[in-house]
Amino acid sequence: MGGKTKSWLRLSTVLLLSLCIGLTGCGGGNGNSGAQPEAKDSAEQTTPGTDGDKIEPFEVSVFIGQPDQQPTPDNKIYKLIREKTGASFKFEFLAGDIDQKLGVMIAGGDYPDMMTANQKLTAAGAFIPLEDLIEEHAPNLKKHYEKYWNMMKDPNDGHIYNLPNYGVTNADVTSSYYSGPAFWIQKDVLAEAGYPEVKTLDQYFDIIKQYKEKHPTIDGTPTIGFEILNYDWKNWGLFNAPQHLIGHPNDGGVVVKDGKAEIFADKDYAKRYYKKLNEMNALGIIDKETFTQNFDQYMAKISSGAVLGMFDQHWNFQSAEDALITQKKDERTYVGLPLVFDESIKDHYKDRPALNLNNGFGITVNASEEQAIRIIKLLDTLIQEDWQKILSWGIEGEDYIVKDGRFMKTQEQRDLFTDATWKLANKADSFHGQAPKMEGLFSDGNATDGAAQPEEMVAALREYDKNFLAQYGFNSYVDFFSPAPENEIAYPAWSVDLVDGSEAKIVNTKQNELSTKYLPKAILAKPEEFDSVWDEYVSEIRKLNIKAYEDRINEVLQWRRDTWSVK
Amino acid sequence: MEETVVKDSAVRKPKKNKKITWAVLKEQRQLIYMSVPLMAYIILFAYVPIWGWTMAFQDYKPARDFSEQKWVGFKHFEFLFKDDSFLQVFRNTLAMSVINIILGFTTAIILALLLNEIRKVFWKRTVQTISYLPHFLSWIIVTGIVATSLASDGIINDILMKLHLIKEPIQWLSEGKYFWGIVGASHVWKEVGWNTIIYLAAMASIDPALYEAADMDGASRYRKMFHVTLPGIKPTIIILLIMQVGHILEAGFEVQYLLGNGLVVDWSQTIDIFVLKYGLAQGNYSLATAAGIFKTVVSVTLLLIANGVAKRLGEERLL
Repeated sequence: MGGKTKSWLRLSTVLLLSLCIGLTGCGGGNGNSGAQPEAKDSAEQTTPGTDGDKIEPFEVSVFIGQPDQQPTPDNKIYKLIREKTGASFKFEFLAGDIDQKLGVMIAGGDYPDMMTANQKLTAAGAFIPLEDLIEEHAPNLKKHYEKYWNMMKDPNDGHIYNLPNYGVTNADVTSSYYSGPAFWIQKDVLAEAGYPEVKTLDQYFDIIKQYKEKHPTIDGTPTIGFEILNYDWKNWGLFNAPQHLIGHPNDGGVVVKDGKAEIFADKDYAKRYYKKLNEMNALGIIDKETFTQNFDQYMAKISSGAVLGMFDQHWNFQSAEDALITQKKDERTYVGLPLVFDESIKDHYKDRPALNLNNGFGITVNASEEQAIRIIKLLDTLIQEDWQKILSWGIEGEDYIVKDGRFMKTQEQRDLFTDATWKLANKADSFHGQAPKMEGLFSDGNATDGAAQPEEMVAALREYDKNFLAQYGFNSYVDFFSPAPENEIAYPAWSVDLVDGSEAKIVNTKQNELSTKYLPKAILAKPEEFDSVWDEYVSEIRKLNIKAYEDRINEVLQWRRDTWSVK
Repeated sequence: MEETVVKDSAVRKPKKNKKITWAVLKEQRQLIYMSVPLMAYIILFAYVPIWGWTMAFQDYKPARDFSEQKWVGFKHFEFLFKDDSFLQVFRNTLAMSVINIILGFTTAIILALLLNEIRKVFWKRTVQTISYLPHFLSWIIVTGIVATSLASDGIINDILMKLHLIKEPIQWLSEGKYFWGIVGASHVWKEVGWNTIIYLAAMASIDPALYEAADMDGASRYRKMFHVTLPGIKPTIIILLIMQVGHILEAGFEVQYLLGNGLVVDWSQTIDIFVLKYGLAQGNYSLATAAGIFKTVVSVTLLLIANGVAKRLGEERLL
């Protein structure tokens, strides 16, 4: 009996082993010999349709500097790209900290073919200059970037290393979504006050105060009047408001007046804002925990629907607002208000998109010369309009419908477009998000982005919002803001590279540290102590070599004016 | 890196009063062969990286050859010691470290003594398991729990309010004077159970005859704790203390980084956070290295001093 079992065991093991070997053998064979002819087949079929060059399959390794998910292997858009151009992508996404990851890559000099831009990489000489490659091989890209050509050059050596992914627009299209900074207020606060026009900081806090007095709790949670987030690098909730209140656009830590940048942290208009916050704190409007909370706690409070207002950028708390929508608390979602100190000041919150410098793909020194040419040709192909439609809207008939020449989506398609799992198999977002892209309108008048297509904007509005906007006579929430004027040529100052380890950067770090320390102190101080805390803060700031910081910004702004002006 | 050096020399403590001859070496050759991979490991990962200290004297730029680096002497050390806030972060680091050591040792020893007195194995095991489980949580989770418990509607304020000890919730995390204590308490909560394990092991090795003898002399339970158990684990305590002194500049990074905020920054910043802000985040690896050298030098010095003191007192030593 025992012997029999043993031999059975042996036999089955042998069978199993041989099966394994057979299977892997077959698998390997398929991979090597099966796939290639297929690719060639499709290549031959499509060749006449494209430009006559024979299509050879090639693989591009890509590093994306943000966390993302791998697309599914049979993703339909990448498959189409592979069939039509021969290119397949091997993505590596960021896991962990970008600085650490890049530090390791730089130290080893080990780069994939294509990487998203980063100052560290450029400084380490990881990217190859692209201008000659584009001139020679990529007429469409050249045309795409023509107006921005000088802006793309690196201030340090005049080469183009990266292809900015956003900011090349061919029409000023108003999207229904405003993602930038504003004083946000719960819709119900405005509704209860009878839909007033709120223009100034004082009016804003007045109606918040009234609402809070009337409703001490919302759904059982104590009402919070105003939140100020200052956590880690998300410091604009505390730092940035003063520049907007005097009618300037977002320049980061400076205000550019008559072409000269200066910090505003220690100016009187900043004092005026923080003094107001100090008064509001004394009245209990401001959340007591606002300066000790972390980002998650902040988001949790907003999601509860108990926060009446805050200064923030929309994208930052978008997911908390999404949670409110899911809970069907439409009246607890927010409207952005472009507040100023006095009604005589014109608001300038909304700005025209500036070229997204130091973003988008660059080709690394590790890509061979032929590979670099292949990549630039690939990008050149994909910037053309038919490809741009596929990358942005998808496949006609499947992902969107065309009615009288207008692109539209059915409700089902709209829902799919917000489904992350579906997108992994049916959209090429991780590539498209970083690649050069058309923004504005296609030549047939359709918007390049679904969210900016007027028909889609209307269809996407919920019932509550339709009524709300009707009270103001607006079409979308963007109408609360003054239209964006033309940007000053060097705008925005926040994108100036301060250069790691330089005096300017150290001064900036120290100044932020002082603000993080003193501003909460000043706001939470007893009203009669505010002035003394403020004076201490200002004197601490003046001890720093602020001039080094301002000089660096002015130097780059001047350089931009000199080289970016279209002559 | 420095730790490995220290610990390793402890392991390879040379046998005193015994001459090493070729004959002995030959006799023990299997053992020597076995130690080769370990030696290689230590040389490769503990000694070779010391070469990186050269970075502290350069304006180091990545992806450049050694010969292309710019040498700047003691510039980065100067920046470090001239900066006002460095003194402050040094103070904070030391203070929190000392608090952690004192609280950590006393609580762990007391808990171990108490556990040792429990006669029912089931209860002993249960208490032990429950108390050391938090050790396996990462600091990001622990700080989340701490922040939530200390919030104005958190459990601490709730209890204090219900007991009528306070009239309105205390903003624990916005007062600098509470910060060191909060960090110390969090460390205790997280590590106390884990730290008792080694003491319990030491207690288990105490000769039962000593307890019997004490019994014969009519010693009470407390007497036995003080005169048998504590002296029995004294060598362990001293060794651990010496090792802790070597880590005195490692007050931790995550706790302070995650619990700190603008209002308590004068108490919460440690050397590691300073290095992150002005070194790594600015791509200034040289400054980070300089701070690392400073920490190592201080640690090794303190370790030697503590070891010397222990020698004077005729206690157990590390080296």
